[in-house]
Amino acid sequence: MTGAKRLQGDKLTEAEAIERAKQGDGEAFEFLYHLHKRRVYSLCLRMTGNTATAEDLAQEAFLQLFRKIATFRGESAFSTWLHRMSVNVVLMQLRKKGLPVVPIEETTEGEEEGSVKKEPGAPDERLAGSLDRLQLQRAVDELPPGYRTIFVLHDVEGFEHNEIAEMVGCSIGNSKSQLHKARLKLRELLRTNRAEKAGRR
Amino acid sequence: MNCLEFERILPEVLEGGHTTERQAHLNSCPACSNLLADLKDISLQAKTLADSAEPSPMVWNALEAQLRSEGLIRRPAAAAPARSPWFRRSKTVWLVPVVAALAIVVGIKLYHPAGAGEKQQAVKHIVVAPGQTVRPVSSDDQQFLNTMATRRPARQARYRADMDDANAFIHDAEQALKSNPGDVYAQQMLINAYEQKQMLYDLAVDRSSLQ
Amino acid sequence: MIAVSWAPKAVTVLALTGLAFGAGEIRKELHFKVGKRPMVSINNPYGPVVVRAGAPHQVVVSAILHSDKVELDQSSTRNRVDVISHLLAGSDQNTGLVEYEVQVPPEADLTVHSENGRIHIENLQGDIATEGSDSSVEVLDCANGHVHVKTLNGPVNLSNVRNGHIEIVSMGGDVLLSGVDGPWVSVNSNTGRIQYAGNFGDEGEYDFTSHTGDIEAVAPAFASIDVVARSNQGRVENDFSLEPKHTPFYVKGGNAFAGTLNKAASSVKLFSFSGRIHLKKRQN
Repeated sequence: MTGAKRLQGDKLTEAEAIERAKQGDGEAFEFLYHLHKRRVYSLCLRMTGNTATAEDLAQEAFLQLFRKIATFRGESAFSTWLHRMSVNVVLMQLRKKGLPVVPIEETTEGEEEGSVKKEPGAPDERLAGSLDRLQLQRAVDELPPGYRTIFVLHDVEGFEHNEIAEMVGCSIGNSKSQLHKARLKLRELLRTNRAEKAGRR
Repeated sequence: MNCLEFERILPEVLEGGHTTERQAHLNSCPACSNLLADLKDISLQAKTLADSAEPSPMVWNALEAQLRSEGLIRRPAAAAPARSPWFRRSKTVWLVPVVAALAIVVGIKLYHPAGAGEKQQAVKHIVVAPGQTVRPVSSDDQQFLNTMATRRPARQARYRADMDDANAFIHDAEQALKSNPGDVYAQQMLINAYEQKQMLYDLAVDRSSLQ
Repeated sequence: MIAVSWAPKAVTVLALTGLAFGAGEIRKELHFKVGKRPMVSINNPYGPVVVRAGAPHQVVVSAILHSDKVELDQSSTRNRVDVISHLLAGSDQNTGLVEYEVQVPPEADLTVHSENGRIHIENLQGDIATEGSDSSVEVLDCANGHVHVKTLNGPVNLSNVRNGHIEIVSMGGDVLLSGVDGPWVSVNSNTGRIQYAGNFGDEGEYDFTSHTGDIEAVAPAFASIDVVARSNQGRVENDFSLEPKHTPFYVKGGNAFAGTLNKAASSVKLFSFSGRIHLKKRQN
């Protein structure tokens, strides 16, 4: 049984683990890691679309957090702190690689992707069947990086637009409009993927 | 209201901005109604992606090694040695065989005597396990220097000097931490020393194709 | 990955001219049209890179190539511009030399890689990252962005950089900060000397650490700081009359001083292993 599992068996609380980690307790670090690893790694994976990169970034996020754990005073939730740090680590990586963090503000002319068809009398069909997680996951991975960032931060991770605007360095209006476009794009991707799948049968 | 107008205010509707006019359009337009429903589904289903993936065990292994080498985790006597911190980066991982790494700051153990109520710096002690190495592993550095062998001699000499400076800083910071157990400033100095070594490796490897 | 199905609005327009400029030298000029907050990356192993703020929505790159053993590779996708000095077989630091002058929108995010050339950046508001071995780095009159500088032995000079998140890592290059204030200013040096002349303002955190390099900070009498300074083996000097800190500060070994000045709004940490530390009062 690993140390972290033993701590879990003893019903250690997160607060207790944090205090122990401050004293250098390796098992406490491990407990905190396992408690939050899925959330952090999923965020990194959704925003980068690459498992190797996501693992590197998740490791970096935890490392930065654990280095600063001595300064954690409990003013906010530990998970909130870790969450924000993870986002910052990913955004720095995207910037460093020159990948667009947020799409440029464009005035789109003409029909938007995935939006309602303009021909009268041609009702736009719903995404047939229920939407499952794997299908959506695949479609999110296919989003262009800038759209993916906004969608993941808002709809997946639950950040508000004012928080997103501050983190990625865009306006609140831009965050809202890009989220809307990301959702429209996802709808189009989901319909295309389903049509391709149906065509192969 | 027509479809074009509805599309324009669709983001507001998704945030709960319903009006009689908007509802009337939805009731009469299957296309817009379907669009709204799909976007709501997408937004709802997105939340299920939040915790959906699990990293490989290698992430914790690498993280733990790094934490030990920076002195943030105490080291039980029987634990495996930690890897050198600068090899946690994917681009430098080829410099060291996975099984050949030795400890950097190993054997640093923090404990609190019972009843300690004083400031933390006053009660923490350091125990260095006998026989533990406190200098960086020279075979790793040798591999680094071998990689730089294609550079011109003056550049090689500079890298060598920088590497010696980085190692000297790590050594001095380790000694300072040994002398002042639990000293957070000494700990930060050691982290800074590792950061310099990491930078040296990263910059040198990035430019290994140059003269 | 599905290919992007809409045409990029950030249209790339190349105006490529090649003029013989001197014996064996060729001048090239590249123009890019970009959107808001573009990302611009210049990778030039040998030679200077000068970047200044220019007109919005365009990036202009002027380059002088010193021989035909180096060529410019460029790519632009959506809102990102990459220019790389591509060294051909047989090139060295002389024949591979390229001199760059670049104009970018003021809000651009910038990355510059160089081996030994001078890097000069001024009047930008976006994030700046530079990496170099021996390159001298100058960042002037910038604000509001992250400034990350990594150097092995090139000197670093930041002047009038405000409201920034500054991180500098240097092995042997001296670091000079003049009029630099922000929420976070951090310098990590090995043998390089660290000099700061400013107000320690913005209620920021100022962390200067060195192995053997001396640390000298000059601040005004009205500076509002909570300062801790320690050198394990070097001298420490302080020109101010500091108030005692609220929490006791213990030092085992080495030389140190700690205390507060005025309202202690900013945190200042000056640490060295064996360098000399001097907190000086500015003479007005």
